[in-house]
Amino acid sequence: MVADAQFGWSGSIGEVTLGATKTEGGTRRISYRIGGGTTLPFMEKETSSPSPLIAFEVCDYPLPWSPIVRNYCGDLVNDLAAWTKTADTTYQADLIRLHLNSTRQRDFSDIPAVGKTVETVLSASSLPLIIEGSNEPKIDSEVFQRCGESGQGERLLLGTAEASRYRSIAAAALAYNHSLIAQSPIDVNLAKQLNILLKEIGVPRDHIIIDPYTGALGYGFEYSYSAMERIRFAALKGDPDLAMPIICSAADSLNIKEVREADPAMQDAIAVSWEFYTGTAAAAAGAEIICVRHPKTIGMLRQAFASMKTRSGPAGVQ
Amino acid sequence: MALKALDIYKLLPKKNCKECGDPTCLTFAMKLAGGKADVDLCPYLDDQAKSILGATTRPPIRLVRVGVGERFFKVGEETVLYRHEKTFYHPPGIVFRVSDAQTSDEIAAVTRRVRDETFTRVGTDLRFNGIAIENTSGSAEIFAKTVAAVEQQQAHLPPVLIAKDPAALSAALVHCGSYRPLLHAATGENYREMCALAKKHGCPLVIRAATMDGLIQLVKDCTAGGVQDLMLDPAPENLGAFISRSTQIRQLAITRSVPELGYPVYLDASLTGLQDAAMVLGIVKYASVIVTSPLMPGPAKASLTLRQNIYTDPQKPIQMNPGLYRVGNPGKDAPVLMTVNFSLTFFTLQGYLESSRVPCFMLIVDTEGLSVLTAVAAGKLSETLVRDSLKKFGVESEVTHRKLIIPGYASPLSGRIEEATGWKVLVGPRDAAEIGEFLHEEWKNQG
Ligand code: B12
Ligand code: SF4
Repeated sequence: MVADAQFGWSGSIGEVTLGATKTEGGTRRISYRIGGGTTLPFMEKETSSPSPLIAFEVCDYPLPWSPIVRNYCGDLVNDLAAWTKTADTTYQADLIRLHLNSTRQRDFSDIPAVGKTVETVLSASSLPLIIEGSNEPKIDSEVFQRCGESGQGERLLLGTAEASRYRSIAAAALAYNHSLIAQSPIDVNLAKQLNILLKEIGVPRDHIIIDPYTGALGYGFEYSYSAMERIRFAALKGDPDLAMPIICSAADSLNIKEVREADPAMQDAIAVSWEFYTGTAAAAAGAEIICVRHPKTIGMLRQAFASMKTRSGPAGVQ
Repeated sequence: MALKALDIYKLLPKKNCKECGDPTCLTFAMKLAGGKADVDLCPYLDDQAKSILGATTRPPIRLVRVGVGERFFKVGEETVLYRHEKTFYHPPGIVFRVSDAQTSDEIAAVTRRVRDETFTRVGTDLRFNGIAIENTSGSAEIFAKTVAAVEQQQAHLPPVLIAKDPAALSAALVHCGSYRPLLHAATGENYREMCALAKKHGCPLVIRAATMDGLIQLVKDCTAGGVQDLMLDPAPENLGAFISRSTQIRQLAITRSVPELGYPVYLDASLTGLQDAAMVLGIVKYASVIVTSPLMPGPAKASLTLRQNIYTDPQKPIQMNPGLYRVGNPGKDAPVLMTVNFSLTFFTLQGYLESSRVPCFMLIVDTEGLSVLTAVAAGKLSETLVRDSLKKFGVESEVTHRKLIIPGYASPLSGRIEEATGWKVLVGPRDAAEIGEFLHEEWKNQG
């Protein structure tokens, strides 16, 4: 008797490449091909898709950053190059995600500084880079343009396109051959709509990563979890407009009541737990890139993903 | 294939005697068709009808009870692979592990913790579910003594007894046999003795095997041996093995492709070497009982919260009844704060209001369970809704002033609310954590 779950999928997750090595025209020491899954996450008989990647988030203006992370990282947060380098060599992230928080200050206009910041981060670490740009339509175009240009050849991942503002970022991605993050608020249909909009203006599918938006654990995570499962499910059933890898940022976890109000002596450990629980559950639902802000979450996630990826002979029958 | 209610009805005795707990044979048939009842509840079924019905109408995953008394829990009777397809019904029991090689003080401390610790979120008390006692000492006598000691303290916390040796279990069952402990585990070698014990004490029994075939064979052996309340331990050697085996079991069970796999899954998270990750995966990937070493404060709350999230019904956000709620003993000049009827929002705001120690009114308007930002984005929070709610809940006669505090995120509506209601609108902070400060400063200055 053969007992093996048959799902009968017809689709698979498309692949996206992040980063470019010397031979690929960039300066990164490694590049990643993510996606490629052909069944439910971690259910493959042979590993057709890689382990989820772990991105560490840094920023160029740390004031709005979680005080827990600022305390833990100390002075590093005021020295972007050193922080980035530490994220690579000490924290051992797979990817760096730079938030250009400075552009979110009122009346920001120093566009050249954006280019410099991107260059600083690119030279501080040779890991592939994700960049979160501005959040203000008036300067979007210039900011993304400058990011794209400064990272030319590096196959960056640019964020974040939303239904109401995606043209500037798409233009920069197209002009410099970068990929982009398409974010929609926790809804499979909205995710699909945005991908179609992007397709219509010429962004190829293999340059899109879906961000279905992650509500923090206890504050909307169940919706995010199901949105991720639905996207994965639709992709496996053959919908090409949802067959992209998923990125998840559990950043909100550090701001929730249970973490903010934790006993100071335990606060780091508690913050890490909430980030880790959210990131692991998101990976189980199908996320291929997990972004974290607390350095200590990285090692825990890496160990967990390695074990989740392990196959030990057929689970079915001989 | 599943039978329709009417086809099932034709096979029933049509006595309408109510002994199954349903008013008529027809309503019982409807329950059977929906997988919500067990054929065994009707005492008058003939064997032929039973065998036809048994295979197709019992819930695809058997409901199994662990423990007795206030803290008993039941698991199983799940019907879907994805929570968005319907919902997950029975959250996994999270059980703290102790060993009979530990000191009695250590064991007592863990037992008291499971008995007493509660974490209240969104108006619900979240708790751990039981104590797993493992026989690591190798001695049946010490095991029995430990179980007896735990039983004395624990006020009927559901126990899980873990032992390889049936003799040790037998000795322990002398002390807790009537409390429906979960027995772990029957294997190819010992299932006869284990079944005999489970049958004698009426306990649920875990069977353990690392292959689907091994589990299926053991299910056949144990049910033939008269034990129906089973759980499956797929003995995962790593997290990947757990995800794939547990998912296969769920899928094969709910599609009724392999009825022998239609039992709840048991996971010992402490054995994988990565306990936190195993907790997470147990919760999201179909475990029904999760054994773990006592959790540190971070993982303790995170796991209870994740379990609550994953097991909420995705079809209905948890809602509060709209209305006027009081915090403390508000007088005629007390502030009135408007918010939405999403329970998480309500309880978050209420918590901060209580700690501000300013007596006040909370006006809860009906946004169909959506949070403030979501309701604003979806157009579910409007000036007419606020106006009608002020009227409906008689706020005008409760206070003499005409000032309404609205959430910071609802600020785009402030002008329109003022026009529609004639009340002066004060825009409060976005984050409820700052409400105390706001009331002490801004509200006082208004007064
Ligand atoms: C979970 C969630 C959902 C869930 C709904 C959950 C629910 N029951 O509301 C679902 C998936 C259904 C959903 C749907 C949508 N969502 Co939504 N969702 C969220 C998410 C992740 C969390 C919301 C939440 O639970 N917050 C927690 C509660 C407690 O917050 P709260 O109610 O605001 O209360 C806080 C404060 O407002 C304050 N407060 C509350 N009351 C009061 C009262 C007073 C007097 C004061 C002073 C303060 C105060 O205290 C609380 C704690 O600080 C947010 C993102 C986020 N981080 O907020 C997006 C978010 C709110 N959603 C968004 C959107 C756009 C939508 C949709 C419109 C998308 C769509 N087109 O389908 C739909 C609309 C709903 C519909 N049509 O059914 C956007 C809103 C964008 C905007 N700024 O307007 C957000 C911000 C996500 C994003 N970044 O894009 N969503
Ligand atoms: S016990 Fe049997 S015969 Fe009696 S009402 Fe129920 S189904 Fe009908």
